[in-house]
Amino acid sequence: MKLKILPPTLRKNHRYLAIDIKSQNEISKDDLVMAVWDACIRFFGECESSNFNLWIVRFYEINDNNDYNHYKAILKCQRGFEDKIRSSLITLTKFKGSYISINTLGLSGTISGAVSKYID
Amino acid sequence: MFYDLNIKGKNFNEDLHLAKEASLLGWNSVAFNYNDDNLDNAFEYFDTLQEESLNFNNPLNVDFRYEITTNNSNHLRKLSRKYRDKINLISVLGGHLKVNRTSCETIHIDILSRPYFKRKDCGINHVLAKEAANNDVAIELCFKDILTTYLSYRSKILANFKEIISLHRKFDFPLILTSGSTFIYDIKNPVDLSYFFKEIGLKEEEIEEGFKNSPKNLINFNKNRENLILKGVKKIDRFD
Repeated sequence: MKLKILPPTLRKNHRYLAIDIKSQNEISKDDLVMAVWDACIRFFGECESSNFNLWIVRFYEINDNNDYNHYKAILKCQRGFEDKIRSSLITLTKFKGSYISINTLGLSGTISGAVSKYID
Repeated sequence: MFYDLNIKGKNFNEDLHLAKEASLLGWNSVAFNYNDDNLDNAFEYFDTLQEESLNFNNPLNVDFRYEITTNNSNHLRKLSRKYRDKINLISVLGGHLKVNRTSCETIHIDILSRPYFKRKDCGINHVLAKEAANNDVAIELCFKDILTTYLSYRSKILANFKEIISLHRKFDFPLILTSGSTFIYDIKNPVDLSYFFKEIGLKEEEIEEGFKNSPKNLINFNKNRENLILKGVKKIDRFD
């Protein structure tokens, strides 16, 4: 049986980070999830990372003429922890033996806002 | 205006590529860092690089930085005097105690880069901090050291950063924050970097000093260095 959805006042507030990913090798959405969690847990530990409520909502592959694989994504996180997530994401350098770099493009309160402002 | 005074320079094409990426990510001014191996080569193409980077969509000011890497204090003094008039920014790679001390005592040197390099402590104490403050030698904290280490090594470097920050608060020497990028995956968004240093324990004003005001003051001071007769005495144009 499915749990009843919480009333809006009891729900957690979210923010959406638009992120830019450069990777030496091709990565999938699942790889990105692992990389993001890895970065957060490495930098802040398990206890602090449990507050972040991270979720990859959208994942885009960008086809441009660069010598790296370029992706963009929308990362859902809990409001109030955006700074910590941004700081931990930039500490990631390698994933599965290849170079990776994650930079934040911007922050938005809605998915559509993040997509229209930073992805399109 | 965000300044990154430490991007590793290699050759024209790679430097231009890094400059483009830095400009896209929001940096306004960068300094390419050359050492003895590629300094002569850099003199040849640097003017072209400066012109090209001003034509980006987000124009980027590019500066020239020479990094002295030696363990000999006398050699360090000699090199700093030799290149002082030719190059805008002169830095010294720290780590060796004698080098750290000489750098802090020499007014010709602008930046003491990574005094904690390959050390178990932060590389400066209250004596060196006072000297650095007197001679306006900036101490550089390089983000690259965090990127290239992990687990206990990273924690130790973070501890060194915190020790330098506490000395900076007490003695007020200039502190600059840099990325130390060597290739495209190392260049980070300046806002993200600010958040990182905030998590380490720097206050917002200190981060602003480290990324904006201190590097700007260094560059402006060196542009006027030829007019300085003594510390505090400056030759000015009669019609200024």
